[in-house]
Order: sequence, then C-alpha cells, then structure tokens
Amino acid sequence: MEPQTKSPDAATSSSASPSKMNNLQITKSLEPNFLPQDISSLIDSLKAQVIADRRNFIKDRIEENKKKLSSITNHMHHLANPLKNVIFSDADTMKDFSTQRKDTILCTLSGPDLHTIEKDNSSYLEDNSSVSSIGLLGNSFSSKNNFRHVKLDSVAKLPPYTTWIFLDRNQRMTEDQSILGRRRIYYDQNCGEALICSDSEEEAVEGEEEKREFGNGEEYILRKAIEEIGSSDTVLDYLARYFDRKSSDIKAKYENNFKTDKSDTSIKKSEKESDIYMGDALKEKDLEAALDSFDNLFCRRCLVFDCKLHGCSQDLVFPAEKQVPWTKSDETTACCNQCYRLASKMVNISIDSNSIPVVEGQPHSSGSDDRQLAPRKVPSVSVQSKFKLQQSESASSNAKRSDSSESEVNPQKHVIPQNSTSPSKVKLAEKGGVAKKGNSKRILERALVSAQKKQKKITLPDSICQREIRCRSNSHKVNEDISSSRSMSPITRNLRNMESLVHISHTSDCMEAIDIISGDAAKSSPAGDDDEDSRKEEFANENPCKPELINDTSWNVIEKSLYMKGLEIFGKNSCLIARNLLQGMKTCNEIQQYSNFIETKTVGGTGDVGSQVDGHKSNELRRRSRFLRRRGRVRRLKYTWKSAGYHSIRKRISERKDQPCRQYNPCNCQSACGKQCSCLLNGTCCEKYCGCPKICKNRFRGCHCAKSQCRSRQCPCFASNRECDPDVCRNCWVGCGDGSFGEPFQRGDNYECRNMKLLLKQQQRVLLGRSDISGWGAFLKNSVNKHEYLGEYTGELISHREADKRGKIYDRENSSFLFNLNDQFVLDAYRKGDKLKFANHSPNPNCYAKVIMVAGDHRVGIFAKDRIGAGEELFYDYRYEADRAPAWARRPETSSLKKDETQPSGGRAKKLA
Amino acid sequence: MARSALGCEAVVGSLVSSRKKEYRLTNRMQEGKRPLYAIVFNFIDSRYHDVFATVGGNRVTIYRCLEGGAFSFLQAYMDEDKDESFYTLSWACNLDGSPFVVAGGINGIIRVIDAGSEKIHKSFVGHGDSINEIRTQSMKPSLVISASKDESVRLWNVHTGICILIFAGAGGHRNEVLSVDFHPSDIHRIASCGMDNTVKIWSMKEFWPNVERSFTWTDLPSKFPTKYVQFPIFIASIHTNYVDCTRWLGDFVLSKSVDNEIVLWEPKTKEQSAGEVSIDILQKYPVPECDIWFIKFSCDFHYNMVAIGNREGKIFVWELQSSPPVLIARLAHVHCKSPIRQTAMSFEGSTILSCCEDGTIWRWDAATS
Repeated sequence: MEPQTKSPDAATSSSASPSKMNNLQITKSLEPNFLPQDISSLIDSLKAQVIADRRNFIKDRIEENKKKLSSITNHMHHLANPLKNVIFSDADTMKDFSTQRKDTILCTLSGPDLHTIEKDNSSYLEDNSSVSSIGLLGNSFSSKNNFRHVKLDSVAKLPPYTTWIFLDRNQRMTEDQSILGRRRIYYDQNCGEALICSDSEEEAVEGEEEKREFGNGEEYILRKAIEEIGSSDTVLDYLARYFDRKSSDIKAKYENNFKTDKSDTSIKKSEKESDIYMGDALKEKDLEAALDSFDNLFCRRCLVFDCKLHGCSQDLVFPAEKQVPWTKSDETTACCNQCYRLASKMVNISIDSNSIPVVEGQPHSSGSDDRQLAPRKVPSVSVQSKFKLQQSESASSNAKRSDSSESEVNPQKHVIPQNSTSPSKVKLAEKGGVAKKGNSKRILERALVSAQKKQKKITLPDSICQREIRCRSNSHKVNEDISSSRSMSPITRNLRNMESLVHISHTSDCMEAIDIISGDAAKSSPAGDDDEDSRKEEFANENPCKPELINDTSWNVIEKSLYMKGLEIFGKNSCLIARNLLQGMKTCNEIQQYSNFIETKTVGGTGDVGSQVDGHKSNELRRRSRFLRRRGRVRRLKYTWKSAGYHSIRKRISERKDQPCRQYNPCNCQSACGKQCSCLLNGTCCEKYCGCPKICKNRFRGCHCAKSQCRSRQCPCFASNRECDPDVCRNCWVGCGDGSFGEPFQRGDNYECRNMKLLLKQQQRVLLGRSDISGWGAFLKNSVNKHEYLGEYTGELISHREADKRGKIYDRENSSFLFNLNDQFVLDAYRKGDKLKFANHSPNPNCYAKVIMVAGDHRVGIFAKDRIGAGEELFYDYRYEADRAPAWARRPETSSLKKDETQPSGGRAKKLA
Repeated sequence: MARSALGCEAVVGSLVSSRKKEYRLTNRMQEGKRPLYAIVFNFIDSRYHDVFATVGGNRVTIYRCLEGGAFSFLQAYMDEDKDESFYTLSWACNLDGSPFVVAGGINGIIRVIDAGSEKIHKSFVGHGDSINEIRTQSMKPSLVISASKDESVRLWNVHTGICILIFAGAGGHRNEVLSVDFHPSDIHRIASCGMDNTVKIWSMKEFWPNVERSFTWTDLPSKFPTKYVQFPIFIASIHTNYVDCTRWLGDFVLSKSVDNEIVLWEPKTKEQSAGEVSIDILQKYPVPECDIWFIKFSCDFHYNMVAIGNREGKIFVWELQSSPPVLIARLAHVHCKSPIRQTAMSFEGSTILSCCEDGTIWRWDAATS
C-alpha cells in the first residue's frame, strides 16, 4: 500500500508537465517583483496538478483493486460451479427444486400487456413518458392466489433485549463509550422517522473548532510556491487566502517545514544510532524504569494488571507503614547445587584460619550461618540489637516526621541536582527524604522523570540503589560488629558516630548535616566517595582471600535493582532471592558473593546507613506494640463504635439516605491524616488502601464482633452498610481454598462472619427466564431465607452526566438499567451486567437492593426481603425518584412518598438502593 | 463534515448518463400488499443463478427469471406468525449442496429453509431483536452472518445450527446494526455498519478454530462455546447519519448513509502501530432522492456494476470500478413511484430486479444489441 504522500511524489517526478514549466519560466524571469496574477496563476496550476495527481492515484488504485477482485470473483465462480457436478448426480432433491414447478410457471406474467409497456419505456423512462394504466402492467400475484404456501411453524420469539456482556464485577466506562457530545439519532417507532436526540444548549457548547491539518496536497503547493517565488508576505497572503487560513499559520507551517527538512537527515542518523542501543535496552533498563508500567497498569486495590474497575494510571499511594522484610530463614539445606551454602562451606574449610567475619556472618537472614559459627553469641545479638533499637527509637521517629515534611519540598530540590557534578551530595540529599521510605522515592522519581529524560533516569536511580545497598549492608555490618564483639575497627566506630549524626541531620537542616557527614566519611575512610573502581581495587587488596573477585561489571543494572528488591522482600536470603527474582540470571552463590562484595565495599562507606534499616525496624515494632496496647485497652473498655474514627460514618447513618454515599478515593497522606486529607475533605473514612498509617483517626477500624456474626446493626460494619474486611476487622477471617494450604489462624471463637458475601462472591444461583409480568425476569434456583444475599447487580460505572444522557435514550425504549451508586457513579447494566439486571420492578417486592461498601468500592447487593421459594421470580422496588419514574413504576398517590420527595431530583429515572 | 483537504478529495461521479447499456422494463408484478424489503439472486450455486427470492411480510417467495422477461413461480413459504415481517434474506447452502434460503425479520428469529426439500431446516433463536441483514460467506456457504437491532452481529453455521461468534460488546455497535458483509477473499474479515453512524471491520482470525469446530459439533448447539468478539479492528466514522448498507469491493469498502450517495473508501491500517487507522475516501456515486434509510444496493457477481433504488422508485446503475465513476443507466417508470428498498442484479448484470415498498417487483433487462 502506498502512503498518502503519493501525490506529491508523483508530482515531483512528473514536474516536467508543460503548464508548470511555463510557469516556472515566467516566475523565474519575474523574480524580483511578482504580479499578483502571476502568483495566483501559479497557485492555480499547482492546485490543478495536485488534483490531477489525486485523480490518477485513485484511478491506479481502483485499477489495481479491480485486477485483484476479478481474480477473486473468478475463483468464486469456480467454487460455485463444481457443486453442480458433484451434487447433481445423486441428489434428486436438487432436480426437484429446479424442475418441480416448471409446469406451473407464471407464464401469465409475460402477458400481452407487457408489450405496451415496452413501447412506453423504449429507452430511459423519465417522468414525462406516456401513461398506461397501472392495471395493464404485469400481473397481480397476491397472497390470495392459488399457489400452495409452505407453512413455517411459528417459533416462540424471545422478549427483546440488547446484546450484553456478562460482568461478574463492575467496570468503569471507557472513554470511547461515552455518548456525551455525540450526536445520537434514534429511530422513532411510531412515526417512522429518524430524529436527532440532543439537548440544544448542551450540543451548542461543543463548537467544532477543529484545527485543520495541512493536507499533503496543501503542503506540496506551499512548498513549491515558496520555492519558486520566494516567501514574501504577499505570497504568503495569497496562499493564506487560497487555503482559507490565516497567513500566520502559513508562515509557521512554512518555517516548520523548512526546519524539519534540514533536520531530517540528522534525525535519521540519530535514529540509527539509537537502534543500536535498543538491542540490550532491557538489560540496561533500570528496575525503576521497568516498574513504570507496573505503576501505571497495576491496580493496587485489586492486585491485577489492567484493572477495569479502577482503571490504569491511578494515583500512586504508598503506605506509610512498610512491611518488615521476610525474616524466616528456616532453610538450612542448600537450595540447589549452585547454592552458596555449599560454596561457603568449602570456603570455610579452605580459608578457615583467616576467615573474615564480614564474609560469613549475616545476623538477619542467614542466622543459621551465624549459629553455626558462633552459637553462643546469638542471644547477645538479640539483646544488643534490641537495646540499639530502643536507643534509636526516638531519634528515628523524629526523623520520620521531618521526612514527611521534607518529601513535599524535595521535588524542587531535585530539579537542581540533575546537572550537578557532585553526585555524592545529590544522593545524600535524596536520601534525607527518600531512601528511608522507598515509596516516596518513586514519587520523586516521577517528578524527576518529568523533568529529565531517560538516560539520566537510568543512571541516577541506579546510584540511589547502590547507595541503599551500602546503607543496608552497613547496618547489618554494624549490628554484627556489636554482636560478635570482635575487634572493632576504627572505621566502624566512626560509623556509629556518624549514625547518630545522621539522626541529627534529619531533625536539623539536612544539607548541612550531610556536608558534615560526607566530610566525616571522607576522613574516616579514603574510600568514602562514590568512585566504584577505586573502592573495588582497594577491597581487592584488602581481601586477598576472597574466593572470587566479584565486580560490579558482571552485574547489570536490572539485576542489581532486582537484588535490591529481593533484599527488601526476603532480607539477606540469597536462596530466596535467586529463586524468586533472579532465576536464570544469577545463581544463589553469585548473589551471596555479590552481597558480600557490596557489604565489604561499604564498610567504610559514608552514611546515614544504620539508621535506614534500624530506624525502619524500630518504628515498625514500636508502632505495632502501641497498636496492640491500644487494642487491648479498647477491648477492656467494651467496644463501641462511637470511638474516634467513626464520626464521618455516624454522620452518614444519621443523615441516612438524604444524600448518596460518597465515592472513596485513597488518600496520599504519609502521616496521620490532618485537615488536608482528601478522605476527610471528601467525607469518607480512610481505608486500608490509604497511605496513612493505621493509627489514623479517620480510619474505619472494622468490627470486633464475635457471636453476632456481623449480621445485625450491632456490628459497626453492618450498621454503616459495609462488608467486613478480614484485613481490618478483628474476628472476621477467611479460609483459603479447601484447607489444603493449611487452616488460617482462627480468631474469635471459631465463629464465621456473615457479612462478607459480596467479597467472597457467595451468591445464589439466579436463572434468566421469561417474566410473568413482562419481558425477561430473574428467578431464584434454590430457596433462601430472609435477608439472605442473592447476588450483585453489576454494570458499567458511568458518571451522572453520562447517565442523564443515556437515560434519555433508554427512556424512549422504556427500559432502563441505570442504578444510582454514589455521588460520583451510576451503574449502567444496559450493555454490560449480570442476570440480576433482569429482575423486574414491583411495589410489593420480595427483594431489596442495598449499596454496600466492599473493600473501598461501592457495590450493589440484592437481598431477600422475605423467604423466597425455589423457582420464584425476583422483584425489587426500583425506588425511582417520584417525579421521574416511568408510568409502570409509579406508586399510587396514597402511599407514603415522603422520603422520596425530599430527594434532590437530578437526572433521569434511575434505580436507587 | 469537514471539507476534505486538498489532494485527498474523492472523485465524484457525474450524473450524466453514459447510456453504456440500455435497460428495458420487461415485467412488473404485484406480489402482495405488504412492502417487500429484500430481493436476492442465488449466486452461491451456479445452477440457480437465475433463481431469486423475495421477502415481505411473513412470506418468503422463490422465483425463476425466464428468458424474455417472464417469471416462474417456484416456492412460497409463510410464517405462521402473522406479525412476522421479514426484512432480509440470503442464499446459503448445506454441506450436501442443497440450497438454503435464510431469512430474518422483526421477530429476531432466523429461518433456514431447505429449498430442496421445501422444509424448514432450522430456526435460530438468539437475537434479542429484529434482524436487519443476513449475508452468506461465499467461500463457505454454510456460514451466514446476521446483523440485528440488538446491537450485535452473529456468525451462524446453518448446517449445524450453531451460533459461533457474537460481534458485540466493549467495541461493538452502539445502536442497531443495519448491514453486514463478508470480505470477498479474506475469510476472517467482515464489515458491519449501523445506526451508530459507524462502519466497523472485524476479524475472527483468532477465533477461527471455533468456526472450524462448529462444523463437527455433534452435541446440542446450545452447548457450543459461543465466543464474543468485542473489539473491531477498524472503526470508520465517515457518515454522519445511519449507515444502512455496506459491501466490500475487494479491499475497499462501499457504504451508504442517507446522504444521497454511495461512498467508496479504503481502510488503512498501519502495520507497525496497531489501532492507528486512517480512511481514504476514493470515490462517490451520487444517488439523488435517496435520503431515507433502509435502502440497499446490490452488485453483479463480478462487482462491475452497482444498482440502487431511491425514494421515488428510480434505479441508478453505476459502473463501479472505473474512475471517475460512470453512470450506466437511470431506470424509471411512471408507475414506479414508491421507494425501492432493494435491487438485485443477475450474475452478468443483464437483469435488474427491484422490490418496492408497495409490494411490487420490477424487472429490467439489458437490451441486446
């Protein structure tokens, strides 16, 4: 297929067309000053040429297509032929079909009258041809004639419906399905007319001020004309008039073209170069860059990619509380034949005498090794480290606070360092606000990304990672040094001093402190800077006994960052990291060696180091203990949901249905939510998806029910129209699978929460059938008791504006599947939904609908109002707003409508819970 | 519609008749009182190239075109449901070669009639609303496709009675589907158009195993794993009103709205960047007084000509594959005044039939000179 640029191309090749040549000569001769008519004639000729080229182009294309098509039709003709030969021989029926009624040919149709007709329309009959009476024309072959009709047995037809897609969970509407701003024509069954359905005011707003693109033809004329007669203002004016545009547009276009022409070649060159790099792009890519798609496409609420409910590119919310790394290290056996355990044993044997503690002991993850080496010292490790934790607790909590405030300021800081030549400073500055909480680091990353381009992105985060590695391993190192009580090197002592300095640095001015530290570090160890190579060498010298010289170069960027992630998740468990993150890339042994290498490398490193992990850990512990304490107290005081955190809920309960529920969006707060919290402002509770820590006052803290099974208003979850959440509620737990994965830790007195039916999809079987009332209906397969959960009403989540627009169209069809969900969304089950959308309306229903908050989302559950027998049709009250209800759903005037009347009337008829 | 850019204009045919071919009215027949919505020659089987069928009201009738302008009546079928109003029909073929007439209408039930044995072969229930068009895959004549008011297009196997695929959902039509057509050579491709003003091109390539399976399915048709095709590969918004007829012309597409013209355009998909599509409108074939919807055009077997009726009972015959388009003939008769819903061109294009809203069938034959 030829691209559209064909016409200009063709034109240039055939630029010797006589008319143009003439023009060219004329214009050339008149170069200094053109007469207006010359300009216009030139443009005219150019235009004519473009049009002619276009015509030729179309002609060629059609000719081409014709050739192709004729071969296709000939082939099909052959396909149609063989049928005759094959079938005709043995199928009598065929003969029947064609010959059977030969006798009963309607020969009468070619009766005598036709002659006269033919006379009349001897050629092309126009309206003025002579008239012959209609009766003379042909024959009438009405249905009353004598020919036998074969009866087609009637088949029961289905009640009408629009094809719909089954949804087992709600979906947010995609942009292209919006009918807002689109002209919609509907067919009016009654008058047989197509009418335009639009609100005059609404449609008028959307003026079609589309910016016209320059077509290829226009561009060509522009270029040619300017080439030949220059780009004087008069010429541009003429062109502008010609194209019906502003002359400034033309000028801009021309200049743009001119530039692009020139830069075209250079771009091509650079493209080629970039192609070369593309080959190992993946390897060079940093994990952070790779995570970009993860950030954009992964839904943290549903834990799936490409979530249809919450959409992609959600706001990134990073929890203020981080999980402790995996510290379970019960694996003492080698994971594979490449396992470091095998290797390290050998090393032990060989270089036992001058074994360096740095290589062997890892107090956190591979405690087993430690135990092997020095079992006596294990207790002291714990004691001392605990002591240390407590020590650093206060400092780190301070640091935490300052961090959170800093993280807001930081992005601005980071704009400057982009071009900075002293990397150490930059990184440390980042560290102050960033590395401590790996989460905010990514936010910053994004800020950086927006400012800087990819190459930088690859290098910078990398160094951050490295830095982090060093810090972490340093912390291990420090602990180790304390615990093993071996000869403490002056370096480590120095380090500890620095550690405390770092805490100060967090509370005081960050930058200043960093200066001190880096100075300090430089003093304490000559390898205090970031120059990897020099450090490497140094360590190579220091550790001649190292079994294998592992260097940075054998590890590429992505592997390093994967290793870092592994460290975060599994701690220093090389086996797990190898198996889960670096499978096929690095062996367990290599990872172990690398981690040792990093560790040793950073012994004398700069740093705020220990505070990283320690602070984090201690924070974790401290917070948890406080939380536990609080819980205990609450329990003793007899649990009540009037405690803090429920005021917004209570508000909703008291206000009841006067206003719809509020859509929940997780807040980004990094500390306990203050007045700025988006949840608080929005009038929703904080949920487990919010960034804020668990102690947040605005959090909904679930229930502590035990015996009541969360089925009554005693349960705060139930009372506030929420489902219990096993993550939040104290005694509501869920088993996994059939128990083959092991029973969950059972809380409470082995009781089972009954308020998680939507979450667990414990619905009843619903059947679709013909309704006794009209059209389709939903039926229940098995009988249920009162208040039993039947199923969910699913559909597309659309905005209220969209719903109003759609509602108008649906109203004409008198079937609406709209359901008011909350203040932001309406459910539309018209094209997507589940079978419960077919449940009909009744003023005396056997079911009721309820909007329930399930894991942060509002969902509609249908519940039994009474006992419902097997096979019964399901009805519920659509609760249309009184003034908008269709005739069939209107209640008699006498019935109490007070509640509904108070509702604000907005939009079309929509179901309400 | 925005003015097309210079160098991208379509070539518009001139309405001056070239009189390349002369057609004479040779017959007129009043079939019934109810409007006739479809008239189709059998192109599937070369034995029956002179056989055509009409639908109107609850009746399906089969005729043969005889030499000299006469019709011979062959068969007639009547739906027991008086309220049925057939809108469309298509010829198809069983595996053994017996000709099928597949018809559908307001009831949404597709009737597969075995014309060989004069019996109903199968009835397909599934569409949620009326059926606006049925077409047959000429390379595999037991596959038919139906366009419905329920916003879906469905692929059926008339031999086994299976609904193989449903083209609807997230990227599907947003209103009634009015017309649908199989690509002449690419067996995986179909085009559909409808009241949402768009033409959509779909591919069933990745679902082709399902289509193959439908031929050997022995279990109940309802147990067949019908799949949804939710995303078309191409969406063209060239019209601003209902698009009521679309046909492939090789790799190009012919479509018409209520704008008094048939448009020939080329769908361009860019290989490297999926989803990015463009349309090149190549030619336009004006058809005056053709501004009501549900008027369909037809081509001869080799796609040399296209015939379309208009609101006033006139027929325009265009040469399809010439540039610029040439109007071959304009057919009119004083008594033919009601809208022509569909035309039918015989295999060679020598006979043109039209069916009108007043229940008449008109036959025009090319003058042999």
